[in-house]
Amino acid sequence: MSALEFGRITRSPKIWRCAKRSAREPLRHAESCHTLNHMVQHSAALDTTFAAVADPVRRGILTLLGRRDASITELAESFEMTLTGIKKHVTILEQTRLVTTKKEGRVRTCRIGPRKLEREAEWIASFQEMIDARFDRLEALLERLPDK
Amino acid sequence: MTATTTRTEITTPVEREIHIMRTLNAPRDRVWLAYTEPELLSQWWGRGNKLDIERMEFTRGGHWRYVEHGPEGVSGFEGRFREVTPSERIVRSFEWDGMPAHVAIEYITLTDLGDGRTRVNIVMQMHTPEERDGFLHSGMQQGMDAAFAELDQLLAL
Repeated sequence: MSALEFGRITRSPKIWRCAKRSAREPLRHAESCHTLNHMVQHSAALDTTFAAVADPVRRGILTLLGRRDASITELAESFEMTLTGIKKHVTILEQTRLVTTKKEGRVRTCRIGPRKLEREAEWIASFQEMIDARFDRLEALLERLPDK
Repeated sequence: MTATTTRTEITTPVEREIHIMRTLNAPRDRVWLAYTEPELLSQWWGRGNKLDIERMEFTRGGHWRYVEHGPEGVSGFEGRFREVTPSERIVRSFEWDGMPAHVAIEYITLTDLGDGRTRVNIVMQMHTPEERDGFLHSGMQQGMDAAFAELDQLLAL
């Protein structure tokens, strides 16, 4: 299944339902449609990202760069590829902001891109929300508990 | 983030751990009870969702299993107790049904602050950074359909 097909299959029924409900109850439904629009945009970005990480070498590059920065030469050695071959993969990853590169002198250093860091911040924020909610309930319960 | 939204401090000081710290306005023995008495635990751990405490063999080697019934579906969490030190510390394995066989070790420490408050410190320790990200990501599962979440997880490299 291509990335595009994946997006179409999983998104379309929901978009259709959303449109129908919107027509029926436009105001009440506005908020959830906003969320859905955001998800559709997010989904388009994911399609490109999905294509970028569909290749095992590119996934390997991301895993390696997740641990440490590396030059194009080091990557070529690690993956036993030519410099030109590795450069092609890095360019694709760079286009999706999964990797950034910086040239210093004759060495091009690759590091994990802002996408990965943004995702991590997003996850921590959502995890935080979950844990906050849990401890808020605990605190409320502790206040209700009778004194021993 | 403002102080009102960060009641709980969450940090990832090393790539395989999640650290959680929260100060509660209650004495330590009460916090301990809320953690260890199933009828109390079920009132808060599920964040307002119905929580079934299916197993709670509260002793070293004993099995625990909680099942949360959220608006998006049912989520199970389970593991075994490694250490139980009354009023002070619980060490247990922690597994989420959404990531079967990816087992984390959870260290829960309660510190009496001496002024009627208690500090809860939790360290979740995973085997790999990928597992850590997966657990962090579990907070995002709500409100996302399964395929979308699965794709996101695939991209979580």
